[in-house]
Amino acid sequence: MRIGPRRLAELGPLSVALRCPHPRPRARAAMRRTREEVDATLQIAKLKAAELLPVVHCLGFGPGAGAAVGDSCLLELEPALCQQLEAGHSLVIRGDKDEQAVLCSKDKTYDLRIADTSNMLLFIPGCKTPDQLKMEETHCNIIHTEIFGFSNNYWELRRCRPKLKKLKKLLMENIYEGPDSQKEKDSNHSKYTTKDLLDQIQASEEEIMTQLQVLNACEIEGYWRILDFDYEMKLLNHVTQLVDSESWSFDKVPLNPCLQELGPLEPEEMIEHCLKCYGKKYIEEGEVYFELSADKICRATAQMLLQNAVKFNLAEFQEVWQQSVPEGMITSLDQLKGLALVDRHSRPEIIFLLKVDDLPEDNQERFNSLFSLREKWTEEDIAPYIQDLCGEKQTIGALLTKYSRSSIQNGVKVYNSRRPIS
Amino acid sequence: MVQIVISSAGAGGLAEWVLMELQGEIEARYSTGLAGNLLGDLHYTTEGIPVLIVGHHILYGKIIHLEKPFAVLVKHTPGEQDCDELGCKTGTQYLVTALIKNKILFKTRPKPIITNVPKKV
Repeated sequence: MRIGPRRLAELGPLSVALRCPHPRPRARAAMRRTREEVDATLQIAKLKAAELLPVVHCLGFGPGAGAAVGDSCLLELEPALCQQLEAGHSLVIRGDKDEQAVLCSKDKTYDLRIADTSNMLLFIPGCKTPDQLKMEETHCNIIHTEIFGFSNNYWELRRCRPKLKKLKKLLMENIYEGPDSQKEKDSNHSKYTTKDLLDQIQASEEEIMTQLQVLNACEIEGYWRILDFDYEMKLLNHVTQLVDSESWSFDKVPLNPCLQELGPLEPEEMIEHCLKCYGKKYIEEGEVYFELSADKICRATAQMLLQNAVKFNLAEFQEVWQQSVPEGMITSLDQLKGLALVDRHSRPEIIFLLKVDDLPEDNQERFNSLFSLREKWTEEDIAPYIQDLCGEKQTIGALLTKYSRSSIQNGVKVYNSRRPIS
Repeated sequence: MVQIVISSAGAGGLAEWVLMELQGEIEARYSTGLAGNLLGDLHYTTEGIPVLIVGHHILYGKIIHLEKPFAVLVKHTPGEQDCDELGCKTGTQYLVTALIKNKILFKTRPKPIITNVPKKV
């Protein structure tokens, strides 16, 4: 009798054993094992059919298996991402040639890495687990299963901070100085739509939208623009002066009268944008009002004062600052976290502008730049400048432990660099 | 910058596959490659323990429900006819073909099947 060499060969010496005790059926051209063959194998393997579920999966390698290994791969998912895929949402991998790739869902960003395993991973369609078999009522006792592919690595995701520094950099290429500015008449300057930003920034759409709000960016004619700070202050001053002259409460600034009074001076969209940036919108009795934020207004006023000099005498600054804010608002140094730094060791005490978004994005570089500015920091002073570095479950304390060394100075715990900063 | 989309057909279009994890490598007996060849028989005991017979070995394993499921991605490199609505050529894409929520892990030493026990002389 002829025996199909390929089929038996894969089963190794078992095929030899089969030859002896049982008469061989006539060789078939088809590859598929039969139930008889499976049972024969079980007998030789001394496995009792009674102890097994009736269904067997005969596993074979599909025609594409192993062929083009790069064409299919495994992506490890956290449960929330799996749900998103099941809902039909897509994911996007973003990165420039010289950047490390990230994977973005609609609201989160992940570092994408390849994890190697010494084990072999086979991906098998149509293969049932025992629980699934028990639930299904089936009369068949053999399932021919084709292995789709195999791999010894998979893509691994780790949640990371979105790379948003580039966003401000792009928008600063062409800051908005008002509709009458010469720049606006000139169409050569770079402008970015939401889609353009998604093409350039390694972050999810939601993270980009949130950051645009933080930057007080405004969508003008479909393009996202950052306002020139002086122009932004001009708009704010119009609003606060109007509030003052109308004797409105800062909690209840009516939108329509604002637009009516200030419309002749500046575009209505810009007035409304200013109100949105510095206040919270609400509706009462069908009218739109804004509750202006004293903290945001005081903070912006401070920035306006501080940006004109390298440093200020702290006492003088505090006096001028309080006088510059709208009447009724109280200034406090707490409002300036992440914007300005006070040096209480110098005589006289001084304050100077230090914006956290001007500092490097990378953890080590951030700490290096902070420590080259000032050798020793208290936790209270450094916290606003490293808060944004914290990962999903990371604390300021953990960051400080990792990137700095602590010591006690005059009874106070201070942090300095782990290595010498040139 | 490059954007590579990983698209999903949604629950209706996503099959559920199973991952099998084996220690070591699988080699084809002859150098014809693995494609088209049989691997072995996969049984389950009545208690749900997976039993795999490969060649002249038996492996006992276990079913593990994955805390972090896998997606099987199949690469799709577009040909000339692939364009989006704007008529721009779309780049490389991946399609989520299946999800894997369970794996069958074989990590114990394979037991050889002894077929011919020599008789004592």
